[in-house]
Amino acid sequence: MKVLTANSLTTGEVVFWNAGRWAVAFNDGQRFDGDEDAAGALTAAEDQPRMVVAPYLIDVEDMDGHWVPVAYRERLRALGPSNHPQHGKQADGDADVQALAAVTSSARSTGRIKLIRR
Amino acid sequence: MYRYDDLDRQMLTDRSNEFRHQAARRLSGEITEDQFKPLRLMNGLYLQLHAYMLRVAIPFGTLSTAQLRRLAWVATTYDKGYGHFTTRTNVQLHWIKLRDAPDILDALAEVGLHAIQTSGNCIRNVTADPYAGATADEVDDPRVWAEAIREWSTVHPEFSYLPRKFKIAVTAAEKDRAAIRSYDIGLHLRRTRDGELSFEVMAGGGQGRTPYLAKTIREHLPASRLLSYLDAILRVYNRAGRRDNIHKARIKILVNSLGVEEFARQVEAEWAQIEAAEVDLPDTELARIRAAFQPQVFDPQPAVSPVFEAAKAADPEFARFARRNVHPHKVPGYAILDISLKAPGETPGDASSAQMETVADLADAYSQGEVRVNYTQNLVLPHVKLADVPAVYARLKEARLATANIDLITDIIACPGLDYCTLANARAIPVAQAIAKRFADPERAEAIGELGIKISGCINACGHHHLGAIGILGVDKKGEEYYQLSLGGSAGADAELARILGPAMSGQSIPDAIETLVETYLAHRQDGERFLDTVRRTGLQPFKEAVYAVAD
Ligand code: SF4
Repeated sequence: MKVLTANSLTTGEVVFWNAGRWAVAFNDGQRFDGDEDAAGALTAAEDQPRMVVAPYLIDVEDMDGHWVPVAYRERLRALGPSNHPQHGKQADGDADVQALAAVTSSARSTGRIKLIRR
Repeated sequence: MYRYDDLDRQMLTDRSNEFRHQAARRLSGEITEDQFKPLRLMNGLYLQLHAYMLRVAIPFGTLSTAQLRRLAWVATTYDKGYGHFTTRTNVQLHWIKLRDAPDILDALAEVGLHAIQTSGNCIRNVTADPYAGATADEVDDPRVWAEAIREWSTVHPEFSYLPRKFKIAVTAAEKDRAAIRSYDIGLHLRRTRDGELSFEVMAGGGQGRTPYLAKTIREHLPASRLLSYLDAILRVYNRAGRRDNIHKARIKILVNSLGVEEFARQVEAEWAQIEAAEVDLPDTELARIRAAFQPQVFDPQPAVSPVFEAAKAADPEFARFARRNVHPHKVPGYAILDISLKAPGETPGDASSAQMETVADLADAYSQGEVRVNYTQNLVLPHVKLADVPAVYARLKEARLATANIDLITDIIACPGLDYCTLANARAIPVAQAIAKRFADPERAEAIGELGIKISGCINACGHHHLGAIGILGVDKKGEEYYQLSLGGSAGADAELARILGPAMSGQSIPDAIETLVETYLAHRQDGERFLDTVRRTGLQPFKEAVYAVAD
């Protein structure tokens, strides 16, 4: 599965594509099953240069019942920096964020993480 | 200290107005991101993982209190209430919005701060000894010369599109506190036997993928000829530096492929062609700059302060602070005071707006209104009366700024790493935090003694891992955060590049590995040896055996 992400042009904030609009929470992002749909969304996103900078697709996977980005880098983007738990999206700390954070840290200790690959 | 004149200020205001228009055109869709990106980078605005980052230049690491307060205000108003001081003595704001950037640049310009030449293939912010003008072991204030270089290199038309970025550092003290041999050009000012000021010019240093220490290309350059000589170096580099491969474009590659003698010969030949009078600083200009750095008037003080001595005797914690963070000043009765931004558990180099305000207040009250940024990601109050040190300490302690760990194992340099940086392979900050917590007992840290740990999140080496007594480099091993240890590096007069200890290991194993390295050192240490000395004497073998025996 794939999710389409970018940074907002005006604020730089990490955003996720959902049916032509941009959501700020990873879990509100649309998940694409087929490569074709994903590629189509990417083309559409690239057509919104006043909204976002450098849209790209990331791999996501189901881990213990939660969708999470495969790459650790993307988990950090979806959550915020690990040295300031009150900064970034993780600050809101809703159930989705907590699940993502939990999966991320347990993945860390089991070594089930991939870092840089998007 | 040096203040910008009207010309400088006008230029900054013009630049920030220009950027306002450029940003507006980007936001309206008139120009594309590809067209806009170089423009924003020229104004120090990067797009990182979570937001835009603004890198503000702090020339030779010298800040007035008005500037520091303005940085604190910008951080509170437009960011998350903190700034990150870097190994280039710049400050980075990590949560900036593009729509705010023009206002921020205006606010900074009002106090003579800017982000020009903090990105791109140009001559970057010039750095200098953080103890400049305060230390007894210098022959001159190096900032006089650094300021001359700043003026010469600012929007220099010929050198605004070099093969790659270009960094210059200056010291005028016997002890190198500016890591000059890790720079594209390192300048060491000394006095000749007949009393003339003369630079030892070193070129071709740099860290990153292919680290080199700068090599001396001229032992004695009359100081007055500095700018024409720099011109000659830059011309040779601009002409012959590689542009086909970003990894081979720094001057270090050119110097080492030509060989230092041939490179020096080409520089001399070029220098002979230059109309010196057009480039070298006229005496009147030098006098003007020198006057701006005129030493302050220091009230005569007794060399020994009873207040300071009594405070040390009464409070062992203060005594430790005095041992670690308080250094001799050129004027009797004064001290240079280091402020550590490395409280165990905190992010190295981060200071909150409130902490910046505190430091500014203390500098106004006790340090002639001056603050310095050290490339070690710490701050310095350069001119404090010994008798005032206890009062300064008390205020620092309230602000959580009194950590007594300068040059100790918890005084760790770490780049932002994967927590912020788009280029990173692995995180650096949490590794630093874990090590600092492990060695948080100040008594133990002091017993271990001087030990510089330096951590980079990728091979670009912003965290100076090549120069660490223990260097830690984040690598991506099959998609996981791994860390490669190296030993024996140092940045000072005894500069040396660290050597790789062995295979990379996971982040969780790092604190234990550091513990093992420390124990090995303590077991082998001879009288008075620092960690670095022991490593140099014994070689890597005992350390390698200890770390990898445990790992197996
Ligand atoms: S060393 Fe690498 S990860 Fe660290 S700040 Fe520099 S580019 Fe980023």
